[in-house]
Amino acid sequence: MGSDAGVSTTTAALAAHGLSKRFKKKVALDAVDLAVPRGSVTALVGPNGAGKTTLIRVCMAFERPNSGRVEVDGVDPWKHRSDALKRVGYVPQTPAVYRGLSVEDQLALARSLHHGFDVAYARRRLEQLGIPLDQRADTLSGGQAAQLGLAVALGTRAKVLLLDEPLANLDPLARREFIQVLLDAVKSDGSTALLSSHIVTDVEDACDRLVILGGGKVRLDCPLEEARRGHRLTAADSPPAGATAVGSFLSKDGKDVMTLWRLAPDDTAGAEPGQESEAASLEDVVLGYLAAGRGTAGLQLN
Amino acid sequence: MIDRIRLTYKQQRFETLAVMVACLGAAAWALLASWHLKSVGVPASCLVDGRVPVWNGPIDSSWVPAACQLPSQRFTDALNSWDVRMVSTLGDVLPFFVGIAMGTPLVARELEQGTAPLSWALAGARWKWLVGKILAALLLIVPLLLIAGLAADVLRGAQEPGIDPHASLDSFTSGGVFFVLWGVAALMGTLALGALFGRTMPVVIVALIVCLFARATWEPLMDANLLHGMAVLEMPGVYSPGELLVYQSDVLYLDGKVYTGTDCTVSNGVPGCQYAPGHEPDPSSIGPELAWYVITGDKYWQVVASEAAVMLAGSAALGAFALLWVGRRRPY
Repeated sequence: MGSDAGVSTTTAALAAHGLSKRFKKKVALDAVDLAVPRGSVTALVGPNGAGKTTLIRVCMAFERPNSGRVEVDGVDPWKHRSDALKRVGYVPQTPAVYRGLSVEDQLALARSLHHGFDVAYARRRLEQLGIPLDQRADTLSGGQAAQLGLAVALGTRAKVLLLDEPLANLDPLARREFIQVLLDAVKSDGSTALLSSHIVTDVEDACDRLVILGGGKVRLDCPLEEARRGHRLTAADSPPAGATAVGSFLSKDGKDVMTLWRLAPDDTAGAEPGQESEAASLEDVVLGYLAAGRGTAGLQLN
Repeated sequence: MIDRIRLTYKQQRFETLAVMVACLGAAAWALLASWHLKSVGVPASCLVDGRVPVWNGPIDSSWVPAACQLPSQRFTDALNSWDVRMVSTLGDVLPFFVGIAMGTPLVARELEQGTAPLSWALAGARWKWLVGKILAALLLIVPLLLIAGLAADVLRGAQEPGIDPHASLDSFTSGGVFFVLWGVAALMGTLALGALFGRTMPVVIVALIVCLFARATWEPLMDANLLHGMAVLEMPGVYSPGELLVYQSDVLYLDGKVYTGTDCTVSNGVPGCQYAPGHEPDPSSIGPELAWYVITGDKYWQVVASEAAVMLAGSAALGAFALLWVGRRRPY
């Protein structure tokens, strides 16, 4: 599948070319091709162990690829780490807060480490959220700590934001606030964001592009709207006209096996729900591709 | 950079405070102990080879003049008092404590607590991140250990009132600038271990073992290798087995040499010569002549500079390893 959605890697904010990464015998990334267009907010979705974090870590030069390469804003982070990381704002999986330092201190530390860090910008964002700058960072709530992490990433004024499951431990309200701040910033700064998550609903309203990663491979890479409109769901094995089966999985009530169908490209624009098929939600699309990635027909009822 | 240094201290405020208290406390304690010894007021005429004759039993009145017996006894008591003994022991471990306490959080704790990925992402070049931290640690520990080391020299001077501690090679690595050198070496070693292990507890345990080993082997290694070239063979005296060598306290004795014509050596005054059958010296005659390789106190600074250079080179190598490994390793 890879970067088949018409994004030229030369104009991509982030691109992977045949990227593979193994940990001993476990394959984390398997010949991944990917192109994240500039100005997009791309959801990187997949189950735990799909390779999302590994992909981001390779982009951060934390992991060395076994083969292939990535480019962050046109720079290979493994060859030119310092140059590449200047272009990246990073939000790690767990908020990296220094115990004993105040919020203001965390910003001062970021400024001392990152040339050009915009303290005023980061401070303003935190103040807008009512996060006290003199509060010790280790006493912040999970949502506030995540917002601090985001403010630090945004303060770098980087062109590319890499967010590694920042929503995983947040309550629904904090998730919504986080996404709102992220979208505002991306819109105002013109930056590009890659937001990884294993919870589809987290990113559904935030992103304009979807990358599904499963078993170390890119299962789908396309605009979000195309993902929604280009797939249909049926409870039976009768495909919509011209569609190809993607994968099967259990329905929410566990009674039926649902099959996800990919419509032919010509049908995506004007396809109307048929009698036997229904519109696929984003979650259905993800489930279908992940079921396909398991190498079986998905979960089957006996 | 000032912010980096300030925030490094703030991040590890407990260790910073502990190091300050330990160094300044030990220095104050050493000065108090020195005052305690000096307050005994042993007359200069009672000193033997710059030292107060110390007797850990009844004073041998045939060796110590009557006028010196009481001051010598009081000095011995003061020397054996817990505060003097404790501070001397403390001085032996202080540089290692300081180096390990400051070095462990710099890398190992960042990796353990998961703050390294963000810091490394922000810094871009990891060496800049680490150099800033090393600089902060050095700015703190170098002056503090120098103060403690100079106080230890004052204590050494009080323990041996007729000896200039900066011209005596007796226990010269247990004070002065060597406090700083040991502390810096421990810091760099701990950083290297931190980069290697990425966990605080293994770093602390291994660093303690390595420091203990390094301290125990340093002097024999230096004596046998670096310093031997500076030593001169002291005029041989007549030696007979069992005879005690009269040590001069400002002289560094390396090893001895017995002249018997077979050029054998001795260790700690005990000859280890193997004589050819039929050529054993006659026990009733004058025994083999013993000479010592010695370095006299006038070479103090030359010896200090030589050992300091080796120690600094070792510290630099450990620091370079830490920089290299931080650049290569994963931040978790």
